[in-house]
Amino acid sequence: MKDLLRLRTSLSEEIELLLNEQIKAEAYSSAVYLAMSSYCNRNGFDHSAGYLEKQSNEERGHMLKIFKYVNDLGGRAISPEVTNIPQEFESFKTVFELSLQQEIKVTGQLNRIADQCIRLKDYTTFEFIQWFLKEQIEEEYVARRILELFDLIGEEGTGRWQIDKQIPKVSYGESTDEE
Amino acid sequence: MIDTCINIVEVFRTVHGSVSQCDKTNSYILEFGDITNSFRATDFIDFTKRVNSIDLVKMILSSSSVTDVAVLMPPYAERCFVLTLTDTLNLKELLSGAKFNLHLNSIICECLRPHLYSI
Repeated sequence: MKDLLRLRTSLSEEIELLLNEQIKAEAYSSAVYLAMSSYCNRNGFDHSAGYLEKQSNEERGHMLKIFKYVNDLGGRAISPEVTNIPQEFESFKTVFELSLQQEIKVTGQLNRIADQCIRLKDYTTFEFIQWFLKEQIEEEYVARRILELFDLIGEEGTGRWQIDKQIPKVSYGESTDEE
Repeated sequence: MIDTCINIVEVFRTVHGSVSQCDKTNSYILEFGDITNSFRATDFIDFTKRVNSIDLVKMILSSSSVTDVAVLMPPYAERCFVLTLTDTLNLKELLSGAKFNLHLNSIICECLRPHLYSI
C-alpha cells in the first residue's frame, strides 16, 4: 500500500500544527505591535510609534516566512484568525513591558518547535527554525534595552520625551537580516 | 484486505462504514451511512480534523435544536454529512482507526524503504 500521507507532505501532523500555531502567534504579535504603535501615536510618542510599526511589519514578515515554508513543503498553512488585540495600555512603559513579555513568549514557543523537531527527527524544520531562534536573541535584547531606558533616563520631566527619541536607536550588533 | 480491484486497499472498517485507499488515484474513499466520498490525502486529513473538532459536549448539553446535528460538507462533494451525536461518535471512531492504520503504514514504509532501495 502506498504511503499517501508522505506523498502529501514531509511535514508531520504535529509539526504542521505547531507551525500553524506559530503563524498565529506571529500574526498576533504583529497586530499587538500595531495597536501599540497607534497608542504611542495618540499620546505623542512619534518615534516609538514608528519603531513599533516597523516591529509590526517585521512580525508579519516572520509570519509569512513560516506560512510559505508550510506551503512549500506540501502542508496547509492556515491564515490565522487574530482576535483580542489590546487597544489601550496603562502607560508608555507598559507598552514595552508587554513587548518584552511577548518576545519571551515567542522564544518559548520556538524552543518548543525545535524540541519537537528533534523528537520527531524533522531536521529540515529544525534547520528552518534556527533562523527564528537567532532572531529572538535580537528581539529580546532590543526589548530589554528599551525597558532599561526607562530606568536610566527616568520618566520625570522630559524623561519620556528623551526615551521616545532613543527607542528607534536601540539596535543589536549581530543582525540576522541577511536573509 | 485487498478488494477485487488491486488498486483499492481497505484501510479500516467498522460496522458503520469503511475507509479505503486507492493507489491508482492517490485518494481515500470514505463510506459512511449511505454516503461514499473520495478525498485527496490533504482533504482527508482536514476532514478528519473537522470531524474531531465537533464539540460533543455542546451537542449533549445544549437545548437548542441547532446543535442536534453537525453538518459537514466534504470538499468536491455534492452531498454533505448530517451527523447526529451517535453518527459523530461512529464517524470519529472510523476516522481514528483509519488514521492509526495510515500512520502505521507510514512507519512500516519508512522502515522498509532502505531495504527496498538497497542494491
